[in-house]
Amino acid sequence: MAKTILEVVDLKKHFTARKTLLSAFKEQERSIPAVDGVSFYLKENETVGLVGESGCGKTTIGRTILRLEKPTAGKILFDGKDVTAMPSEELRKLRSEMQMIFQDLDAALNPKMRIRDILREAIKVHHDITDEEIDGRIGELLEQVNLKRSKLSNFPHELSGGEKRRVGIARVLSVGARFIIADEPTSALDVSIQAQVVNLLRDLQKHLGLSYLFISHDLRVVELISHKVAVMYLGKVVEMGLAGRIATAPRHPYTHILWSSLVGKQSKEASSAVRNVQSGIWGVFDFERAYAGCRFAPRCPVYESKEYPRVCTDPASEPQLRDVGDGHQVACHFPL
Amino acid sequence: MDAPLLKIENLRTYFYSQSKQAFIRSVDGVNLEIARGETLGVVGESGSGKSITALSTMGLISAGPGVISGTIAFQTNGVQKNLLQGLENYVKLTEQDGKVMHVSKNVVGWEKHSDRIMHKIRGKEIAMIFQNPKASMNPFTTVGKQITEAIRLHTKTKDPLEAEDRAAYWLKQVKIDSPRLRLTNYPYGLSGGMCQRAMIAMALACEPSLLIADEPTTGLDATIQSKIVDLLVELKGELGTTTMLISHDISVISRLSDSVAVMYGGTVVECGPARDILATAFESKHPYTTALLTSIPSEQNIKEKGYLQAIEGDVLDTINIPLGCRFYSRCNRVTDAIRKKCESHEPDLREISPGHRVRCWLYFE
Amino acid sequence: MKSYSQISGEIGEFSNLPFWKKADTVDLVYVSYGLLIVSLVILSYVLGMFNLMPHDPQALNLDLMMASPGTSGHLLGTDFLGRDMLSRLILGIQAYFLPGLLAIAISLSFGTVLGVLAGYRGGRFDTGITYFTNLVDSFPRLVLILLVIAAFKPDIYYIMIVVGLTNVPVVASLIKGKIHFLRQKNFIEAAVSLGLPTRTIILKHILWHNCRSLFIIQATLGMGEAILIETSLSYLGFGVQEPMPSWGNMVQSGANYFMQGKFWPSTAPALAILFTILGFHLLGDGLNNMLEGKRGR
Repeated sequence: MAKTILEVVDLKKHFTARKTLLSAFKEQERSIPAVDGVSFYLKENETVGLVGESGCGKTTIGRTILRLEKPTAGKILFDGKDVTAMPSEELRKLRSEMQMIFQDLDAALNPKMRIRDILREAIKVHHDITDEEIDGRIGELLEQVNLKRSKLSNFPHELSGGEKRRVGIARVLSVGARFIIADEPTSALDVSIQAQVVNLLRDLQKHLGLSYLFISHDLRVVELISHKVAVMYLGKVVEMGLAGRIATAPRHPYTHILWSSLVGKQSKEASSAVRNVQSGIWGVFDFERAYAGCRFAPRCPVYESKEYPRVCTDPASEPQLRDVGDGHQVACHFPL
Repeated sequence: MDAPLLKIENLRTYFYSQSKQAFIRSVDGVNLEIARGETLGVVGESGSGKSITALSTMGLISAGPGVISGTIAFQTNGVQKNLLQGLENYVKLTEQDGKVMHVSKNVVGWEKHSDRIMHKIRGKEIAMIFQNPKASMNPFTTVGKQITEAIRLHTKTKDPLEAEDRAAYWLKQVKIDSPRLRLTNYPYGLSGGMCQRAMIAMALACEPSLLIADEPTTGLDATIQSKIVDLLVELKGELGTTTMLISHDISVISRLSDSVAVMYGGTVVECGPARDILATAFESKHPYTTALLTSIPSEQNIKEKGYLQAIEGDVLDTINIPLGCRFYSRCNRVTDAIRKKCESHEPDLREISPGHRVRCWLYFE
Repeated sequence: MKSYSQISGEIGEFSNLPFWKKADTVDLVYVSYGLLIVSLVILSYVLGMFNLMPHDPQALNLDLMMASPGTSGHLLGTDFLGRDMLSRLILGIQAYFLPGLLAIAISLSFGTVLGVLAGYRGGRFDTGITYFTNLVDSFPRLVLILLVIAAFKPDIYYIMIVVGLTNVPVVASLIKGKIHFLRQKNFIEAAVSLGLPTRTIILKHILWHNCRSLFIIQATLGMGEAILIETSLSYLGFGVQEPMPSWGNMVQSGANYFMQGKFWPSTAPALAILFTILGFHLLGDGLNNMLEGKRGR
């Protein structure tokens, strides 16, 4: 049984609107619950996919785990140690094991530094080694991410998108990361390059035993690369389980809509309830709208087809994740 | 048979880069045809020149050292008109040792001339939907005003109230609830999907004979994307507007298109009926098309958790275009028999079966 | 929509040529003129410091008062006391050069600290610093200078401290903007999550790699401004006092003879002021366009 490497318990991150002098006089601050009580865990050598529409809080989760944002509440246990309460020097050390691939290709690349220096700097952060050893390590990294040695003396702007992504991955590996948060690693790339990167990430996992938290809105890629998938809606995980089951036999209406919305993919196991009523899905998707009970109710076809049951909008009974067998969890009063 | 509504022949749109002292050949010899009532899907990666082709057609390549040549023949009121007529008179190239050293362009003259050709066509005969709907609408006036203005400008409806009725009608056509109310909304009050639908309504309200949709679903959420595609399918059935649909998303193209043009490195490498080109079983197609289709995860792929068939190498650099086939360096189907030709001669777009044309030496023996 | 201007912008950035090759001709002219002026100023400063001037700038020559330019030995003529104009112009640079450097040093150092605090730490720091800089900005600078003169004494160094301090908000907001831009591109986050120490991130990645051209530009613009303030105050009699020459008090003392047809005692320093300030500003402007690429297309 593989070891649990990361455990997130009831994580909350609320953003407050920027404080001004005036807001001190107001009674309430506006707060946006970007992440609102999320729990999941990740085992070694495993990939968990995090999907959802833009603005559902999936990127915030990644940033909070790395402590780029301070969580409002909840615990993040990495290797059993609580990241949320860690002093900054210890956190800095921990970051050699926990890394993030950013959506922006240029994020990891200082435009004024050559690729060699970028990698050298990254290696030196956590390892006190000689220059020859560093060169050896750089060669090793290049081989791992399949990048030509000649690129080392280039500046970032001389590289193509795919090569920039490879350098970004090499930088993440150079510190010796075991757990990588990949935030939309392919969305800034062309289709033909995306496939290269997906293959590379899987190769690395196989050879180095990495664990990924794979954040993406590209459902096909998530389904392909992940072992488990968590589906988020408005800051909450609404369904979680094995990738294949989430994709082919979803229990939450939102997951179902998400997957059947893959253009061109015929929804095979669509329950009649969903197939008949699909009108309400144009609905607005934002945190500003008030809701009570289930967050998805205003857009939910099941809610509509069951003629608006009270329990869905009862503030006292927001559906919680519960097990429906085989580690498949769903937060819905009327799972499909 | 009728003449095609739009016939693009040998279109070349180059941008001169002062810093590199070379042309960026964004569009390099594109031939396209759209018959009346047909939907043509243009697929390609970024940098393949698909958007620039659309902008050239709309006459929107004006600023800076952009240079266009070729012909864009467009049928308007039964007369064929070349949308690029006379534009080359406004550009002067200074050459030295066979290299272009300087491009001087009479931008004002170019724009005036272009406007003279396009003002009766743009928006009225050819309408365009952009990728970023929020950025393409004026944030300071209401959606209703913008649509009404377009209607009064481009159609016979001149009466303001009547035009407003038409605007509401078109909003209803694109499935916006309570259209009357939405007319008074500002663009920022609408969600991304709603905004895109308002854009579609605005484009269609002028009853154009050609609609250019440039990445209409990109940047929207998955659930909204599929809804927009559903809407476009429905509108296509109802109105039968001739459409040029540009997208990098093959699944969108396959839902909507009658015929498909695959672009790579500024040129069309394959075009023909959609059902042939996009079918995985169909054998004789350009290696790039095959690779593009297999590089997105298929159901088979996902089930077996297998690897994707990636296209090796990188997207073509449109400054240093190779002498031979543009796809040669990434192609996995080069055989020894044709290797020489692939390396040194660019194949032309030849018909290999009725209506299906491919730019590849594999099929020319 | 990918508009053409975006495409060309990208290409400009991706270029491999050194920055002076891809620059516009106009900017090259600006910068070379500016560099010429700057080197002349520095040369004159050194000459003045070691007293290597054609004449003693303080020596009166009552036989040769108001000699017109070109008079033997006096290239630019003499003033109403027969002092050599050229030598006085060269010595006049002493009046603003070091004080100007002081002003630049103050504005850059304080501005950088405040800008980094506001941009990097953000939150309460940002709010506080924004209020502070707004406050500084809302004081009329000349009034502030006159207050300082009234409270202490009309010393050019005091004045330049004020000039430096009033320039702090500009530098601070530029640095803050740069940091915000880098943050938006997740550049800083990537460095933090790599585990780099904060010191390295701020000093090396933000200030050295991304703000150095900004420093050069601000320094040249700041010098131009320092000259302007110094000369105008000396003209009004608040700055450098006679008999020490300053371009400002030279214009002032020469102005009395302007209507008598003796134009050079006032015109020569006035032109010197004009060309020098123009030089510094054009240098800053040209460098800005070349290094930061901010020319609106």
